[in-house]
Amino acid sequence: MNDEGNWRRFEALALPHADAAYNLAKWLLRNDHDAQDAVQDAFVRALRYIDTFRGENARAWLLQVVRNSCFTWLKENRPAGQTSIDDEEAALEVPGPAAQEPQAIAARQDERARIDAAIAALPFAFREVLVLREFEDLAYKDIARIAEIPIGTVMSRLARARALLRDALAPGARPVLREVPRPTVNGRA
Amino acid sequence: MTRPDHDAERLSAFVDQELDLQSHLAIEREAAADESLRQRIDELRRLRQSIREGATYHAAPSELRARLARLAPAAPVETRASQMPRPSAGRAAVDALSRWLAWRPLAASFAFAALVLATGNVAWLRLQGEERLADDVVASHVRASLGQHVVDVASSDHHTVKPWLSARLDFSPPVIELSLPDSTFLGGRVDYLDGRPVAALVYRQGQHLVTSFVWPASGGDTDPAFARQRGFETAHWVRGGMNRWVVSDLNRNEFRIVVEAMRQQEAAR
Repeated sequence: MNDEGNWRRFEALALPHADAAYNLAKWLLRNDHDAQDAVQDAFVRALRYIDTFRGENARAWLLQVVRNSCFTWLKENRPAGQTSIDDEEAALEVPGPAAQEPQAIAARQDERARIDAAIAALPFAFREVLVLREFEDLAYKDIARIAEIPIGTVMSRLARARALLRDALAPGARPVLREVPRPTVNGRA
Repeated sequence: MTRPDHDAERLSAFVDQELDLQSHLAIEREAAADESLRQRIDELRRLRQSIREGATYHAAPSELRARLARLAPAAPVETRASQMPRPSAGRAAVDALSRWLAWRPLAASFAFAALVLATGNVAWLRLQGEERLADDVVASHVRASLGQHVVDVASSDHHTVKPWLSARLDFSPPVIELSLPDSTFLGGRVDYLDGRPVAALVYRQGQHLVTSFVWPASGGDTDPAFARQRGFETAHWVRGGMNRWVVSDLNRNEFRIVVEAMRQQEAAR
């Protein structure tokens, strides 16, 4: 297909999901500037491969590209071991700069900020499935494809994400991540 | 009967309605008989609701939208942008609003009001686009004739005016003189209309000023469309890839004679 035709397809299929793309990137990277770069990178790739899109759910397809952009960005910009998305136990141990936020913000009684901070403090692997589920209302099978994990893992990560959020949002909650204070990465001491 | 973790997974998927029918019904049966299970399900539902209603949805900033729009292949977008910028902006707005409607029930009524306003505005803007341009054309003409700043380059010789304008614009405007009795070509200036720098050519016809604005057009040739705007006569047409707006306080008949003379000169070039 020529450039013009590709652009028209892209305009109809991908551009309408700019909000979903940015929302996912912003939640995954937790930074406006990085999220914008990742989304732009994703859309460049989406435009290049738009003629290979055959499915029905353009939003899920695009979000998969966005997610990969974010993942690549994290791998290239974070020190090794800081972000693990394959090993849930390891992911749980990532303290992250936002870990202290829920408590600090809770003091301000700001419900929205409290919820946002609790989600932001979730490890990448849990944050990813939670955002796709609660913000985009995607089916487990779509989330599985986007995050490149089995459906069973989607189910367990979502349950874990919710348990962490419940604890973080409970009145007088301690920061979630304090519950797993092991300072190791990938099980090595 | 199951590990607590496994149970949590089942309940979470139950709340998401992602369990197969048999498991779903099994949990419903269990919950009917088990008060604490019902409480855990309620708790999960409340949590889900508070996330969906309480967390921040990060809509794409306009800066990002502009960056994405620039991904378009260079040539076609130029045409599209000038032909239909508002429908696509409207689509994006409608898309964003429909997302709000979908998962922010509390905001639904406000969003709907905003949607109605936005749709109305887009329609209004499209209708008014031509008229607002006519307004700007008249305003520019009036401003220039009120002040001393009718022309930047005063010359009755189009061989002087044309290169001067070309050097200051990203196009070369056709500069024509009027072969009418009692008509003088005063010169040209650079003005700003329709979001871009344009050439303004100024003539004196009897005691009246006539300003002719020229800038590149995207569409094909059109016949002159005459209108009256706040007591001024205006005419607008496209020829040879150039927009032309003419405005004057001449009376209607004289104005039409001037426009006809301009078009003859244009055709003769």
